[in-house]
Formats: sequence, structure tokens, C-alpha cells
Amino acid sequence: MSFESKKPLRTWSHLAEMRKKPSEYDIVSRKLHYSTNNPDAPWELSPDCPMNLWYKQYRNASPLQHDDWDAFTDPDQLVYRTYNMMQDGQETHVQSLFDQFNEREHDLMINEGWQNKQAQCYAPLRYLFHCLQISSAYVQQMAPASTISNCCILQTADSLRWVTHTAYRTYELGLTYPSVGFGENERQLWEQEAGWQGLRELMEKQLCAFDWGEAFVSLNLVIKPTIMESVLKPLQAMAHENNDTLLPLLIDSQLKDAERHNRWAKELAKQALSNAENNDVIQAWLDKWQPLADQAAQGYLSMLMGPDYSRAYLDNNTTLQAHLAVA
Amino acid sequence: MAIHPRKNWYELTRTTNWTPSYVTEEELFPEQMSGHMGIPLQNWEGYDEPYKTSYPEYVSIQREKDSGAYSVKAALERAKIYENSDPGWISILKAHYGAIALGEYAAVTGEGRMARFSKAPGNRNMATFGMMDELRHGQIQLFFPHEYCKKDRQFDWAWRAYHSNEWAAIAAKHFFDDIITGRDAISVAIMLTFSFETGFTNMQFLGLAADAADAGDYTFANLISSIQTDESRHAQQGGPALKILIENGKKKEAQQKVDIAIWRAWRLFAVLTGPIMDYYTPLEHRKQSFKEFMYEWIVGQFERALIDLGLEKPWYWETFLKDIDELHHSYHMGVWYWRSTAWWNPAAGVTPEEREWLEEKYPGWNSHWGECWDVITDNVINDRMELVSPETLPTVCNMSQIPLVGIPGDNWDVKVYSLEHNDRLYHFGSEVDRWVFEQEPEQYQNHLNFVDRFLAGHIQPMDLDGALHYMGFQSVEELGKDAHDFAWAEKCKPSNTKSA
Repeated sequence: MSFESKKPLRTWSHLAEMRKKPSEYDIVSRKLHYSTNNPDAPWELSPDCPMNLWYKQYRNASPLQHDDWDAFTDPDQLVYRTYNMMQDGQETHVQSLFDQFNEREHDLMINEGWQNKQAQCYAPLRYLFHCLQISSAYVQQMAPASTISNCCILQTADSLRWVTHTAYRTYELGLTYPSVGFGENERQLWEQEAGWQGLRELMEKQLCAFDWGEAFVSLNLVIKPTIMESVLKPLQAMAHENNDTLLPLLIDSQLKDAERHNRWAKELAKQALSNAENNDVIQAWLDKWQPLADQAAQGYLSMLMGPDYSRAYLDNNTTLQAHLAVA
Repeated sequence: MAIHPRKNWYELTRTTNWTPSYVTEEELFPEQMSGHMGIPLQNWEGYDEPYKTSYPEYVSIQREKDSGAYSVKAALERAKIYENSDPGWISILKAHYGAIALGEYAAVTGEGRMARFSKAPGNRNMATFGMMDELRHGQIQLFFPHEYCKKDRQFDWAWRAYHSNEWAAIAAKHFFDDIITGRDAISVAIMLTFSFETGFTNMQFLGLAADAADAGDYTFANLISSIQTDESRHAQQGGPALKILIENGKKKEAQQKVDIAIWRAWRLFAVLTGPIMDYYTPLEHRKQSFKEFMYEWIVGQFERALIDLGLEKPWYWETFLKDIDELHHSYHMGVWYWRSTAWWNPAAGVTPEEREWLEEKYPGWNSHWGECWDVITDNVINDRMELVSPETLPTVCNMSQIPLVGIPGDNWDVKVYSLEHNDRLYHFGSEVDRWVFEQEPEQYQNHLNFVDRFLAGHIQPMDLDGALHYMGFQSVEELGKDAHDFAWAEKCKPSNTKSA
């Protein structure tokens, strides 16, 4: 046998050259995708089977290319164990908000009319959040590095978290206001109400963007920041104006997730842009998706606040664009 | 009441289907990724997952579970399992982690497939928790063996196996890619969750946990039984999907997927878990035989579950039951003989006491496998070591990716099941493996098994040494050896001498 004798390593062979001692994050997160090893057959099946063709087309041949996607590091370096600890804390906080505000009969103290606005502009959000959930699950299964996929797994779960909050509050509001359609009208509003149509169009089209790079850019660099700035924050502001103190606190907790999603997305964009050829690729996708997102945001804001808010939104969006350009 | 119970609002969390109009339903849920078989969105809305949970419950319970598993590990670090356990037990840990950790991680993608492409909203939500579960199982089963890296290079294979071309890794990937990552959402629900996770993972995680606890490895016992509590939740995604297929006239298609997955799972389990339970686990720590575990966790379970759903037992059920008596004994002998190709050290498990146990559990064992082990033992005792190691490669099945075996003894029956397809001759280890291929040639054709690669010149030099390099072995310490360095043969000496 032509094998040498070698001493045991202090860590996985692929981490042995690292200068620092590998962290728990390094040990359990890096280089876990074996499907990126053989470009001809990502999965150990016929190279021409339908799923291998899908991955060769939408992942391997994506216009977004980088020599070492595995170098990506989640800026928060979350692992499953620490994520649950963090989110269990957040959920304990949210549950206690629900509990206390219910005791104080919060929903009876909101301004008259705000319940109708919430039925129209808040409750159907579970459809939008569910779209974010399933879209994140797509980027997870297509991403070329496990460190990227892992951020998407947590983002998928966070989106379900938001769906759950929305379902809970929809039910609860319906107890106080049984006649405004809580828990009954959301699907119809999502499918037909003018203010939702831009968002629905955006999400339906985005969910059919199967190239992994385009799916990531459209979801994480365009849609999610747009929803944060043009849906969640304006909803918070409107709630404040209407004597609703619970919704802003709930959204604050969701924004912590959204900010974390922005952190990893910006980090990945930064890595992608270290290959100069990706500049034009990403720009083309931003140019394609931002107008749809802007249109969707304007539609939503008009429904929520009236058409006058559009200008303020556009100003806000300029900031957002500049923000992204830094990445 | 200040906090509303889950049952009051749960329905809303899964009332998330809508009718798309900016794209078509087929664009949103393409058949290739969804596997809806033409059944429209609204028909999937009756999907009712039996095991319900919600996000706040999930993060709270899972935090508790992890806290338990990690604290047991920390508390028992001084127990020095690696130093104090039987070498057969250490081989089990190596085989388990290498075969399972990255496979579990890949299952995130299968769960993700359902989370994105299932037309059933309840399935999409449960699969979201499933993605999280599989992330847990991948990460925790990397974290636990990592501490052994510094003691033993074979533990690097906990991470490396799936990145390699080692034969067992190819077999594991070919199977898991066929039922998890390489399939549409509904196929994953049926083939991964219903056909694999309800029975086979019970066996690996609960059966093995019983042996582990008996062997004193409480860290491992605690870890894998904790994993199984997640499996038993997300495994329940397949049942309601099967129900919808059957209600919509797709029983035949559903049955075919079940039949393919159970068979393929069986062959992989026979080569990986069979030897572990009946040969590597020290005799005094064996709670049940592999066959007894199979009957308790797999045979009975499937017979009940299939009848409950209105499906049939797979057409090959009699062959399967016969296989349970025999197959893994032959596989074990092959793995032990070709042990240098494994990332763990196979334990022969054939001392006189162990053989007595095997004969009791598998009447007739001595007249079949026992006779072969007699010859091997005799060669070891007489220091004819060149006769107990291979120089060539065996014939490998184009479906299971495992060598072809037969039953030794008077009725030696090894047989190749061949098939010519698109001008290529494929070889299979059983009629059922060939049947699986024939159901969907496009899924399998043009894949090269290990021997195909050898013959195609991918492996150089064309000898065992070249094959071991191709498999990804990096040092002599990584190559599999006899777990007990043949000490077992010593115990066989008196009786051997007597019979000679």
C-alpha cells in the first residue's frame, strides 16, 4: 500500500489549515454540501436525470459565479442550537406581550376604524410572509454553500414565525371585532384588493425565478428590504397613530429578524461583488426587480396611508438604494 | 384567557394557499419539483398533518432538547468512551456518524423541497420545521464526533465520507439522493418521511440507542434518541400526502414510490446497520438481533401503516422477509473481507460464543456463513494473512451500489440480474433492484458504479491501491482494519484444533 502514516488532526481535515482554532460554527456549518463536488452530476444519480439537470441549469450555470462560495460566513455565526436559544427568548417576549395586552383589553382601546384598517392591511400579511417563507426555502435548497443555505433555513423559520404571529393576532382581533372579516377575508383581499396586487404579482413572479442567484438577489436584496421599509415600518407608524401599542412592539421583534437577514444578505452580496463580473449581473437583476417592488410598495402604501405617502416612500427608497450600493 | 391555545388559531397558520393569476399554477408549482400529479391546489388543502406544532412551541422544546443532549455530553466527557469501550463499539460510532451526519444535512434540502413546492400548506409548514430538525441532526452529529478527531483519523470521515468516492458513501448518497434530494416534494413526503423515517430511522436511532445505553455510551444513546423524537414528528408528513394521492385516484403511483423506497432503504440498512447490530456490538450489550429489530420496527410497522392507508404490501414482501434472515450476514462477510475499503474497523464478531448466538438467532447460520468463517479463521490462526484480504474488486449492483452476494453453503445461489438498456448492460443484485431501475431508467441510467468507474479507467493505477486512493483515503490509519486485530481468532483456537 502506498499510504503514509499520519498523525490525527485536531479538527476536520478541511479546517486543519485554519489559522485560528475552529469555532463551533466552523465545525458544524462549513462545507456540508456534497452536491457541489461533481459539476456533471450534483446528485449521485444519472447525470441527466431531471433533478441533476435542474441543479446544473439553475445553480451551476447561474450567471452569478464565485470561485469559493464556501468562504461565506454568516456575520451572526448562528448555529441551530444558538438560534433556538435566541428565538425562544424572543418568543417568550412576544408571548408576554400578547398575554399582558390581552389582560389590559388592548384591542378595545384602539382608535375606531383601525380594526377595519388592520383587517384590510395587516391580516392578509400572512400570505406575504408565507411567500417569504417558501421563497427562502428555495434559496436554501439551491445555494452553492452550506453557510449560505443555513442562513436561508433560519430565514425560512423566521418567516413562519411572522406567519404565526399574524395568524394569532388575526384570530384575537376577530374575537373583539367579529364582524369585520378577521380570519375570513384575507385570501380574497390578497387575491383581489388593489393595494395587495402589486405585492402578490411581485411574489408570484419572484417564486418562479429559479436561477439561484436571481432568487437570492430578488428576495434578499430587493423584496425583503422593500417589505421592511414599505410595509413593516409604515404599519408600525400607522399603528402608533391609532393608539395601537401592541403591533409596533410585535413588529420590533420581527424587525430584529429582518435586520439579521439583511446582514447576511449584504455580506453575501459583498462576497459576490469581489468577482467584478458579478457587478453587471446583480445590477441587471436589481433593475429588473426593483421597479416591480417599488410598484408593489406604492400600491400597499396607498391602501394603508393614502396616495400622498408615495413621495415619502420614494425618498425612503433612495436611502435604501444607497444602502444597498454600499454592499 | 390571556393566551389563546394553539388549536384556536392553528388553522390560520396553514390557510395560505391562494389562486395565482400573474403566473400559472403550473409555473408556481412545476410538476418536476412539486410532484402534484395534476391534482389541483384546492384538493391539497385537506392535507392534515397528524402531529401539530407551532413556532413558539418548536423553539422552546428544541432548546430544551439540545440543552439535555449537550449537557449529557459535557457531563460524561470524563467517562472516556473512546479509551474504555470495546473497539467494536468505536467502529459503530465511526460508521454511524460517517453514514448519517451529512445525509441528515442533505435532508434539509428534501424538507426544503416540500416547504417550497408542496401544494399542501400544512406540509409546507411542517417541512419548515423539518428543515430545522435536519439542520439540528446534521450539526449535532458533526459536533459530537468532532472531539474524537484528535484521537483517530477515521473520525474525520464523519465529515468527509459524503465528500468521498468510498463505496459505502456512494451507496448512501445514491440511495438518499434518490429518495430525498433528487425528487419532487410529494415523492420526498412518501419516500423519505413515510417509507424511510417512520420505520428505518426508528431502528437506527432507537434500536441502536438501546445497545448504546447497554454498552455504557450514554452520550450517544441520549443523542440519537433525542434525534428520533424529531424524526417521529416530521416523519408524519407522508401519511396525509398518500391519503390525498389515493383520494385522487393515484394509488398505483403512490404504491410504486413506497415500494421503491422501502426496498432501497432495506438494502442500505442491511449493509450498514445489520453488521453493526449482529457483529460489531459486543455480545453482552446486544438487546435484540437485527432480525428482531427489523420485525419489531419495520415489518410490523409497515404492515399496519400500509393497511391503514389502503395500500398493499410491496409485491416483493416474501423476498424481503427471506432477505431479513440472510442478506446482512453475506454483506457483513464482504465488508469484513474488503475492510481496508471502509472508514471504520469492522469487527468480525465470530468468536465461539458469538457464533452460538448467531446460530440461535438465525438457525442454520453455521452451515452457511459459519463454514466460510471456519476457513477464514483457520487462515488467520495459521498466519495465512494473504488469504484473508482481497486483491480484486467485487461485482457491484447498479442500483444499491453494494457488491452482489449470495448465500454460501450447499445452496450457493449467487446470481446476477442483468438488463440491457440503451446499449448498456446493467447488473443488479436482485430482481427487485432491477425492477426499481426499470420503473424510472432516466433517474439512474448513465450513473457509474464503483466497478464501472474502474473499468472506464477513472481509477488509476487499476489495482486495490489505486481504488483506495480514488475512494479518498489519505493515510494508512484511515484504512479499515480488523477491529480487534484478530484477537477473536485466538478464542477460536481450541475448537478449531479439535475439529481439525
